[in-house]
Amino acid sequence: MSLQEPTPDLDPGENPDGTLDYDELAGLLGEHVIDREQHENATAFVVRPDEVETVLATLKREAGFDHCSCVTAQQYQDRYESIYHLKKYKDPTQELSVVVPTPSDAPLSQSATGVYDTANWHEREAYDLVGIEYDDHPDLRRILLPETWQGHPLGLDYNQKKPQIVPLREHANPVEERTQVPGDSDTMFVNIGPHHPATHGVLHLKTVLDGEQVVDVDPDIGYLHRCEEQMCQQSTYRHQIMPYPDRWDYISAGILNEWAYARTAEEMADIEVPEYAQVLRTMSAEMCRIAAHLLAVGTFALDIYGDFTAIFMYAVTDREKVQNLLEDLTGQRLMFNYLRLGGTAWDLPEPRDEYFEKVRDFCEYIPERLEEYHNLLSSNELFQMRVMDTGILPPEEAKSYGCTGPVARASGIDYDLRRDDPYGYYDELDWNVITDDGCDNFSRALVRLEEMRESARIIEQCVDVLEDWPEDEREIQANVPRTLKPEPDTEIYRAVEAAKGELGIYIRSDGTDKPARFKIRSPAFCNLQSLEVMAEGEYVPDMVAALGSLDIVLGEVDR
Amino acid sequence: MTLPDTISGLLGIDGVVGTVIGAFLGAALIGTIMLANAALAGPWAKRKITAAFTDRIAINKLGPLGLGHILPDAVRLLSKELIVPEGVDRPAWDIAPIIMVFSALLGFAVIPMGSGIHLADPSVGLIFAFAVASIASVSLVMAGYSSNNKYSFLGGLRAVAQNLAYEIPLILTGLSVVLFAGSLQMSEIVAAQQETLALGPIGIPAWFGLVNPFAFVLFLVANVAEVGRNPFDIPEAPTEIVAGFQTEYSSVYFVLLYLGEFVHIFLGGALIATIFLGGPAAPIAALSVVPGFIWFLIKIWGVFLFTQWLRSALPRVRIDQLIEIGWKGMLVLSIANLFLTAVIVGVLPS
Repeated sequence: MSLQEPTPDLDPGENPDGTLDYDELAGLLGEHVIDREQHENATAFVVRPDEVETVLATLKREAGFDHCSCVTAQQYQDRYESIYHLKKYKDPTQELSVVVPTPSDAPLSQSATGVYDTANWHEREAYDLVGIEYDDHPDLRRILLPETWQGHPLGLDYNQKKPQIVPLREHANPVEERTQVPGDSDTMFVNIGPHHPATHGVLHLKTVLDGEQVVDVDPDIGYLHRCEEQMCQQSTYRHQIMPYPDRWDYISAGILNEWAYARTAEEMADIEVPEYAQVLRTMSAEMCRIAAHLLAVGTFALDIYGDFTAIFMYAVTDREKVQNLLEDLTGQRLMFNYLRLGGTAWDLPEPRDEYFEKVRDFCEYIPERLEEYHNLLSSNELFQMRVMDTGILPPEEAKSYGCTGPVARASGIDYDLRRDDPYGYYDELDWNVITDDGCDNFSRALVRLEEMRESARIIEQCVDVLEDWPEDEREIQANVPRTLKPEPDTEIYRAVEAAKGELGIYIRSDGTDKPARFKIRSPAFCNLQSLEVMAEGEYVPDMVAALGSLDIVLGEVDR
Repeated sequence: MTLPDTISGLLGIDGVVGTVIGAFLGAALIGTIMLANAALAGPWAKRKITAAFTDRIAINKLGPLGLGHILPDAVRLLSKELIVPEGVDRPAWDIAPIIMVFSALLGFAVIPMGSGIHLADPSVGLIFAFAVASIASVSLVMAGYSSNNKYSFLGGLRAVAQNLAYEIPLILTGLSVVLFAGSLQMSEIVAAQQETLALGPIGIPAWFGLVNPFAFVLFLVANVAEVGRNPFDIPEAPTEIVAGFQTEYSSVYFVLLYLGEFVHIFLGGALIATIFLGGPAAPIAALSVVPGFIWFLIKIWGVFLFTQWLRSALPRVRIDQLIEIGWKGMLVLSIANLFLTAVIVGVLPS
């Protein structure tokens, strides 16, 4: 019997205190690393464009970087650059960026799709918006813009003023050739969406059916693309960007999204946010999470029941209550615009006691209501029959597709940035990360339901803290210069736990008051990619259920 | 005495001419009653019932309880443009909605509604009602196949699969009642339920639904599948295949399909009322002062309420689960029920 602590299982390049030893990692890769850069969040290894797959495969297999969080592409005056932001599911603070420069005249880089499935869509987006081509990519098509689009809008040489002229014949029937199936085939091609009762917005699923079973599904997105990245690149850090995040995941997750930008920009400009403001942020963000999850559960029930039933109505009624709280706090019901760099827009509404009482009532009310939802949904046998063991997403697939948020947690992946990469006031509070090993549609709904309980606990503790806060120390805003001009060539990638998962933002500054590159890592975008895994071989109704359980918001998918 | 005879007697016309005129007038009367019921159910009652189940208010602006919405809704639906998609199979596409309403209305010809409202009483009444009700499946297939739309096509196929799976249990369960009544004639079936069963001190009516509750439940379930309501609204399944067989229909044709569905629910209700709930009879003798026709309406609306309740409460099952329930569950149970009933009916008198 040994009393010795077992040696923790360390990946190569990992220090016992949870930090990374980049020298050891570089040693692991040997001469593949041709240079090193220092980003604000991590060290970046520069590698040659024809060695991407080898490098990433080594990092994934040997150093444990199993989470390709995001792929950022950008164009410099003299080169193109793809950045793979790598993390670990077991500890997302262990970050590493892999920078792949490609020459301006031939931007061809090796694809990472063979290593991370999630790179597929990210690289398609990079090709679509920036114009980098990826060698060996299985399906390098445009993803957000129409296939007839001319040029790459985020490239430096793109002429925004030039009208997009598409001859009528190219648009006569844009889906015709894609709907052709071989003559002797027994399958049927169906366009599900963009106008369909179950697609939660303008999603278009190009589906091949064998009878009622899904043989192949290819989500076609971009119908709601509003150039959010470009708009942010044309806005100033200090004030103009903050309203945009509200419009990404617009299903009342506004403050969660704003926090993603606030966290990134604050870390970039070294702004220290007052503790009091962090508590306010934590409380309001969790209110948003409850509102978002309520709608997710309500619409999921709608997809299964096929009708507006009591569950949907109850969910919307309860969401109304939390929206009223948010309205009292921020003055808005949907586009909150409540956070500011270095703090929040304003303090709690007066009289404070009245507001605290309302919030407390709501926090006590949520667990009662959850009993009702469990009675209506999770303990309903017909409901179980429909959603259990359908839409299976195995944990390994979920990791490879970069799934995060409730989708990952329902596949048994214990990953929550609020705990694993703490920000705000979360690490001072007592709450749990909900996970479930079911991997099916049922688990995903269950995780969301239970997360509401935890969110209510967080809010309650925040109220306790706020109540006891000394009156003369209620500082809601740090000193932030009127114009923010971060050092040129500062690069940072930071993420927060939004309602749908990891919402990350990459910013590169060029010394002006506007970002040179602003990239959004949307959780719904990554989660939606895994629909293929869940749906193939299932029946159409199960695909619809899987889509509902993913809880995508097209505003966030398409940005 | 059936309704045509009553009418011709009232008009004082004898012979063939009297029968023909009486039959036409009687059919018009029954058709109007049932269409009025469907008009009340479709734009008004359905909304109000669903709203009550889901904690809402629903229409309440025009008239008492929002009843005034029926008229503008009818005008709105009928004045919409009739969009005929390119490539539809024209005669079939036009005929399908008509068959839908027609088949459902035809079934009421043999239903005794009490107070002398009974159009015809053939000796094979029950079989006739089942037969014409099943014609509706033909119209669903026609609508689905001729629409030249993949969703409609899937809906049509689902409708066939569902009707095949549930019509057999439905009829087999109906037959178990025939064993009790000893007749296929509707008036005989109703008459057989008029006695009172003494259950200790209390007397209950000898309705077959109370005599054989097992068959009653089976029939109710099969009937829900037959009329395509939750949890068996597979042929329409809005969140899966948009609107199934009716995806391409608009305006008058849509109204016909929609109306047909409601008339169909009422026909299902009428069959349940007739063979399981004593037809137009009052539940206890003391209430016999209320006319039989009122009791009949209460019973069919009760069944309608039941379907709406299911719709608001139960998730839709998946197509494969539906077929499984039909063939592996309902069929077996209904055959078992039929044999058991046969044995009991054969043994009891001796």
